[in-house]
Amino acid sequence: MSEVQRRKYSQEEKNSIFDGEFMPHIDSMYNFAYRLTFDEDDAKDLVQDTYLKAYRFINSFEQGTNAKAWLFRILKNSFINEYRRKSKQPAKVDYQEVETYYNSDDVDYQSTSDMRADSVKDMLGDEISNALNSLAVDFRTVIILCDLEGFTYEEMSKILDIPIGTVRSRLHRARNLLKEKLQGYAKNMGYNTDEEEE
Amino acid sequence: MDMNEESTQGRKLKCTDTSKCFELLESILDGEIDNSKEILKEKLAKCQPCFAHFHLEQAIRDVLKNKCTKHEVPNELVDSIRKQIQEIK
Repeated sequence: MSEVQRRKYSQEEKNSIFDGEFMPHIDSMYNFAYRLTFDEDDAKDLVQDTYLKAYRFINSFEQGTNAKAWLFRILKNSFINEYRRKSKQPAKVDYQEVETYYNSDDVDYQSTSDMRADSVKDMLGDEISNALNSLAVDFRTVIILCDLEGFTYEEMSKILDIPIGTVRSRLHRARNLLKEKLQGYAKNMGYNTDEEEE
Repeated sequence: MDMNEESTQGRKLKCTDTSKCFELLESILDGEIDNSKEILKEKLAKCQPCFAHFHLEQAIRDVLKNKCTKHEVPNELVDSIRKQIQEIK
């Protein structure tokens, strides 16, 4: 993941890496970009910029290493540096505030939800999607990377430039926030929760 | 019907260390713990709060993975990327 140029690839090698290792991830890249920006045009621009940067800095990519994580890191950085400011969807929480306030690794793993697995299973895709989209971008991001894209904590740590402990605690908080949103939907759907039965 | 009562089946109703247990269960669900099958089996068989927490967390991961709509990549995006790459080659 280092930006340091390791070697110079020939034109043929560059094409092979680009087509064989970068382009297969375009579906995941577009989905990530769309869930960050909530706008089709912004998502397209973000993905396109990411691929152009990836090509431009291809010599700093080591062939055969984790191309998907490398691309996601570029996309995430582009989003923070360039798109977040002009995004049509204003950030719900100030990034610095989140970084300072939520980056503590000290997290309480007490249960915060009375919701039941059954009520979650019956939820519609739209409800899940809306709940995910309503989270602040830093929480939304860790859930997308872990649950939708299947990255490991270590890969997420490199993509997000944060320690593994912070990945773990941010994920836990993100899922708790998601549970709160889903619990609201569950009540609207008429599911009883333990809280209501007591 | 109280499903909580029904599903306890010999499990203790209070967890002695929810903080440690829930962190472990969440790491297992995220695939971060090797050889977790036995640990998980024992925890879920003995402790009701761990059992409930595990299944709720698992359900959330499942719906996120299976029900969050994938946005289709616009057709012109791949062509546009390739065209721009050609220009900078």
